[in-house]
Amino acid sequence: MKINGTLISYFFICKTKLWLHANRINLEDNSEDVRIGKILHEINEEKSKKSEISIDNIKIDKLTRDYLVEIKKSDSDPEAVKWQVLLYLYKLKQKGVERKGKIEFIEKNRQDKKVHYIELDEVNEKELLDILKRIETIINQDTPPQAKFENKCKKCAYYEYCFI
Amino acid sequence: MAKNHTRYIFSMGELKRKDNSIAFRNEKGNFYIPIQDTRELYCMNEVSFNTKFLDFISRAGITLHLFNYHGNYSGSFYPKEQLVSGDLTIKQSMCFIEQRLVIAKAIVEAIAANIYETLYHYFRHGKKELKQTLDWLKNDVKKFLCKDLTIEQILFIEGQIWSRFYDSFKYFLPKDFVMNKRVKRPPDNPINALVSFGNTLLYTKTISSIYETHLNQTISFLHSPREGRFSLSLDISEAFKPIVVFKTIFDLVGKKRLQVTKHFDKSLNYALLNEEGKKIFIDAFETRINETFMHKKLKRKTSFKNCIKLDGYKLIKYIVEGKDFKPFLLKEKV
Repeated sequence: MKINGTLISYFFICKTKLWLHANRINLEDNSEDVRIGKILHEINEEKSKKSEISIDNIKIDKLTRDYLVEIKKSDSDPEAVKWQVLLYLYKLKQKGVERKGKIEFIEKNRQDKKVHYIELDEVNEKELLDILKRIETIINQDTPPQAKFENKCKKCAYYEYCFI
Repeated sequence: MAKNHTRYIFSMGELKRKDNSIAFRNEKGNFYIPIQDTRELYCMNEVSFNTKFLDFISRAGITLHLFNYHGNYSGSFYPKEQLVSGDLTIKQSMCFIEQRLVIAKAIVEAIAANIYETLYHYFRHGKKELKQTLDWLKNDVKKFLCKDLTIEQILFIEGQIWSRFYDSFKYFLPKDFVMNKRVKRPPDNPINALVSFGNTLLYTKTISSIYETHLNQTISFLHSPREGRFSLSLDISEAFKPIVVFKTIFDLVGKKRLQVTKHFDKSLNYALLNEEGKKIFIDAFETRINETFMHKKLKRKTSFKNCIKLDGYKLIKYIVEGKDFKPFLLKEKV
């Protein structure tokens, strides 16, 4: 299975969600936040004149001369976004395109900056490959990992499935 | 949360796409239906529409349920499947082959338990004649279901449960609503008309709920998948019939909000609800199915309607993870 941005971010958010989504049990999320996220995506797309590009199975928000730009609604899960961008940089590098990563948060809750920069180096590239391997292992299991309740579960579209 | 996403159309007319909203047009003029918070559209009368309209509601994720003039269900149009999982379909089929009886038993057990709860209310209010039926539901049914049974035997027990339930109506319903015999297609008296209409509404609600999961609508466990309908909806709706359909009926009849002479079609021997009767019934049905309460396990407020979807999730969990399948129980609120 090809690992895309969604799967790598779910790896950091929740392993149960990762398994369910990868095994095609993706539950509908009708939440307001998701809707806002989609609209922001559309607005930005228009601004940058449809600069979204698809390479293999990944979708990149924006590619400039120096940067690969990922736009997110909020900075609620920076670790997940970081690795998502690193995956994109890695995929680009394989195609012979080298860029730095730039993450723009439209709303900020936790961090003090709205824009973050990141580079793919030897250390995190190795770690990335290791993460990809771990994702493969999880999604190839017969059953999903047992969900453990955390506060963030309350907001998740998978909450009812996990805890029923 | 308890937003009502269902719209009913009772009159004849035309459904159209008008810009980005749904317009219903008849001789009285145009009525606009907001697309944003509509999930289901029920057409209870002759309505025309074109493919442009169907494409529009399909993209908005709206299910359209069609009924003919007599209130019989004709069919549903639902958006092309967004949630399809080949993997789950395969597992669901395997589950049918290997575990059909386990699931069928769980459903029948839930029917008995929820009928027990429904009747117990009347027992507590002085209808002591119900004692025998209640004891039978509580003790005997459980004992039967513990045995090694074939699907025919399980279906026989199910039939017995319903027929004893109908028999007990004479103890607490007004005379003109007592059921002599359950008759379907077409029903031949007022109570049968209510049961048929209510069951159909619940069936369509269940279709919409299952559509929000990855379950395959045609692979069922208690009912035979050969029935050529969305038989999984028949399965999943069973546990909810006593608490949604019958409680609505008992309430309307008991409070005399539905009366044989006023709300049934006289020319058809009172065997069909008239338009006003349908409206009263649907209104009460919607209120009931959207009633919210605290879900004991999820620890959040939920409605009976959402619980139908949750039973779908439970079934997926059984199919994928082998977790015990137990349909919704009114008493435990899970």
